[in-house]
Amino acid sequence: MIEIQNLYKRYHGPHGGDWVLKDINLTIPDGVSVGVVGRNGAGKSTLLRLIGGMDAPDRGRVIRKGRVSWPIGLAGGFKGSMTGRQNVKFVARVHGIKKSLSKLIQEVQDFAEIGKAFDDPVNTYSSGMRARLAFGLSLAFDFDIYISDEATAVGDRSFKAKAREAFQQRVDHASLIMVSHGEGTLKQMCEAGIFIDEGKAHWFDRIDDAIEAYHRASGLITDVADEDDEEEIPLEQLDADTLKVQLRSLKREMNELHKQQIIMEYRLETTADEAEVAKLQEEKQSLRRKHQLSRKRFKELKQHKQVSA
Amino acid sequence: MATTTEQVPDSVRHPMRVTWDVWTAMYLREMIARTMADRMAWFWMIFEPVATIGVMIFIRTYIRGGRNITGAEFVPWMIVGLMGFYLFREAMTRPMGAVEANRGLFTYRQILPVDPVLIRCFVEGMIRSFIFLLFILIGSLLKIDLIPDHAFGVMMDWLSLWMLGVGLGVLLSVASGLVPEIGRIVKIITLPLLLISGVIFPVTYVPVQYQQYLLWNPIVHGIESMRLSFFDSYHSIPGIDMTYLWFWALSTLTLGLVMHVRFASRLKAR
Repeated sequence: MIEIQNLYKRYHGPHGGDWVLKDINLTIPDGVSVGVVGRNGAGKSTLLRLIGGMDAPDRGRVIRKGRVSWPIGLAGGFKGSMTGRQNVKFVARVHGIKKSLSKLIQEVQDFAEIGKAFDDPVNTYSSGMRARLAFGLSLAFDFDIYISDEATAVGDRSFKAKAREAFQQRVDHASLIMVSHGEGTLKQMCEAGIFIDEGKAHWFDRIDDAIEAYHRASGLITDVADEDDEEEIPLEQLDADTLKVQLRSLKREMNELHKQQIIMEYRLETTADEAEVAKLQEEKQSLRRKHQLSRKRFKELKQHKQVSA
Repeated sequence: MATTTEQVPDSVRHPMRVTWDVWTAMYLREMIARTMADRMAWFWMIFEPVATIGVMIFIRTYIRGGRNITGAEFVPWMIVGLMGFYLFREAMTRPMGAVEANRGLFTYRQILPVDPVLIRCFVEGMIRSFIFLLFILIGSLLKIDLIPDHAFGVMMDWLSLWMLGVGLGVLLSVASGLVPEIGRIVKIITLPLLLISGVIFPVTYVPVQYQQYLLWNPIVHGIESMRLSFFDSYHSIPGIDMTYLWFWALSTLTLGLVMHVRFASRLKAR
C-alpha cells in the first residue's frame, strides 16, 4: 500500500519555479494496478519518482508499505566501463542479495538474451541491448509494487512481446503503477487510474474513467495519437526545394486517391448488401473530399511556384 | 515466474543493514573501476607517484640545489612527504566528483549522495596505503632506508592526514555539488598547497618570524609529524600539534556530514 499525504513538490529552476504537484492526497491499495495519465509536463513522472523514493517532496510525505521497485527498465545506473554481469551484481548487492546471487544473474542473463555481450562493458551495448538488460534486471527481483515510466516502449518486436508478457505475469501477484501515453497498454494493464491536471491528482476507480477525464480536460474526445496531422506550411514560408518535394508527394497522393476512388466505384457496383452500400458510399465521400483537398493544395502550390519563378 | 524470482530479503531490512549492503556493493564497484576498468589502471596507480617523486627529486637535486635535510636522508624524506600529501590530496579531491559520477545510481533509493563520497574516501585511503607499503618494501630492497623509526606513530599520522582529507573531501563534495565553481577553485589551489605545506622544501627554510603563519595550515602539522615519527633525529619547527589537525579534520567532517543530511535531496535532484 502506498499512502501519499499532503504532498507538495516543486523544482527550483533559474526562474523560481511553480508547484508541480500541489497538496496531493492519495491511497493506492494493495494489489491494484494504477495508470497515471496527464499531458506532458503535468507531473506524472515527478509523482512516480516521489513514489519510488528517488526524490524527496518539499512538503508532505509518502508512506511505502511493501517493497517498491525502481522504475522498470531504467538503465541510468549502469557504469559504462563495467560489464553487464558486474552491473547486475552491483544492483543485486545493493538490494541485499547474497546467497542467491548466481541464480539471479542467470535469470537476468536468460531474460535479456544478449549472449556473450553480457560479459562485455556496457558502453559497447546498443540502446536496445541496454534496455534488455535493464528490463531483465528489474524483473528479476520480486517486488510488491513495480513502477514504470513508459517502460514497455523499448526494444524490438519480439522483446516487447516478451516484456509485456513478463510484465503481466508480474501484475498477477504484485501491483503496478505506470505512466504511459499508450492508452491500449494502460487499459490492458491497469484497473484504476490517476489523472494529473494542474498540480492536482484525481483518483478514478476505473482506468477508462481516468482516460476519459483526461480527454475531456484536453478537449479531445478522439484519440489523436493515431492520426498523423501534418500541418500545412503557409505558402510564403516555402522555399523552392520543399515546394518541389511537396508537389511531388501531393501528386502521388492524388494518384493514389484516384485509384482508390475507382476501386470504390467498382465495389459499389458489385455489392448488393444495403448496409455495405451505405458504408461504401460514406467512404467514397470521404475519399472524394480528400482528393479535392489535395487537388486544391496542389493547385495553390503550382500557382505559387509560377509566381515565384 | 513467481517461483523463479528472487525474494528481496526481508521487506524491512534494518536501515543499518541497507547502508552496509550499499557500502559493500559500492566498495567492490569502486575498487573494480579503479583497478581494472581502464587499461593499465593499476600500472599508472603505482607508476604515477614514482614518476612524480622522481621529478621532484630531480628538481631539488639539480635545479634548486641543496639536498641536505637536518637529521634525515633526502630521498626518504621526500617520499614520506609526498606520499602523505598525495594521501591528503586524493582523499580531498576524489570525493568531489563522486556525487556527479554516480548520479545514475540515485535511481535506487537505497543509495544516498553521501555513500559514494564516503566510499571514495575509503577506497582512496586503501589504495594510497597499499602504494606506500609497496614503496617501503621496494625501497628497503633497494637499500633506501624507508623503515620508520616509530611505526605506530607513523600509522597514527598517516591516519590523521587521511582523516583531514576525508573531512575536507566530504565537505567539499557537498559544496561543489551545490556550487560547481568551488570544485574548480579547489583543484587550482592544490598545487600552491603542495608548495606551502613543506612537502618539497623543508619548513625550516622559512624565516622564523613567518613560521607561525605556516602553522595555520593543518597539512604542515600532519606531514612534519609523520616525518618526526619516521626519522628519529629529524628536526622540525616548533609548534607541530596534531590536536590542531584533528580539530580541522573533525570539524570539517562534521560540517560536511550535516550538510549532506541537509542537502541530500538537492544533491540527488540536480
